[in-house]
Amino acid sequence: MKRVEVKLSLPVVAPLLDILRDLAVELARTLAAPQALHDLDQDFRGSWIGELLEGQTEDIRALLSLFDGEFFTEGVIAFDENNAEPIVRACTAFRLQLRERRLKSLGDESLESGEIDMEGLDEETRKAFMCYLFLATVQELIIQHLDSSILGS
Amino acid sequence: MADPGFRTRPDSRGSTELQLEDAWRVVVLNDPVNLMSYVVMVFKKVLGFDEAKARKHMLEVHEEGRSVVWIGHRETAEAHVFTLQQWHLTAVLEPDETR
Repeated sequence: MKRVEVKLSLPVVAPLLDILRDLAVELARTLAAPQALHDLDQDFRGSWIGELLEGQTEDIRALLSLFDGEFFTEGVIAFDENNAEPIVRACTAFRLQLRERRLKSLGDESLESGEIDMEGLDEETRKAFMCYLFLATVQELIIQHLDSSILGS
Repeated sequence: MADPGFRTRPDSRGSTELQLEDAWRVVVLNDPVNLMSYVVMVFKKVLGFDEAKARKHMLEVHEEGRSVVWIGHRETAEAHVFTLQQWHLTAVLEPDETR
């Protein structure tokens, strides 16, 4: 089984974990990407959203489990074909929520280009943006190294 | 790719015509968050596109704001929309009124 280990800088990443945990609480009750479901009847819509929410919660659990004892002792997180798919989805859920709740003031164009003046941001927004970039990096790593595992599963 | 919803039936003249009944479109809308590489991967995974087709539709979403990624029977279209939404893409179901 292909496994990718990534050594992270603890002082940089550890402060972001509080944001991830807060996001997980928020996303326990709401979908990261609210969807237009006008063409579905009311009952079906309820179960549709319920199933999406359940999957989202499981994905987030997989992502948070990366930051366990080994992370705090060695600074290492590891991806393989078992966790790549839920983690890459959870990263998207978190990034969508960050944009919606904490990074609106930056504007979508700046978020898309990544051209942000970090010095000009207040502490809270700066941390949220760091988190946004960190999650994108995790996604890129997984897609780059484990794309075939995800596509094959 | 899954059942596209086409079926053949003989007409009154004895020839065969292609008919699409109850056709629905799966449309993916742009969002400013998802990475291009992620969208390409999701199209390959969920819709079975090859790299070139996945990139074409991803660019269509990015540049035009939306891309029709599948057309066919409602049941299969719903399944695709659900799976795309599991991957947090903004996907909607539309009746195909072009036929």
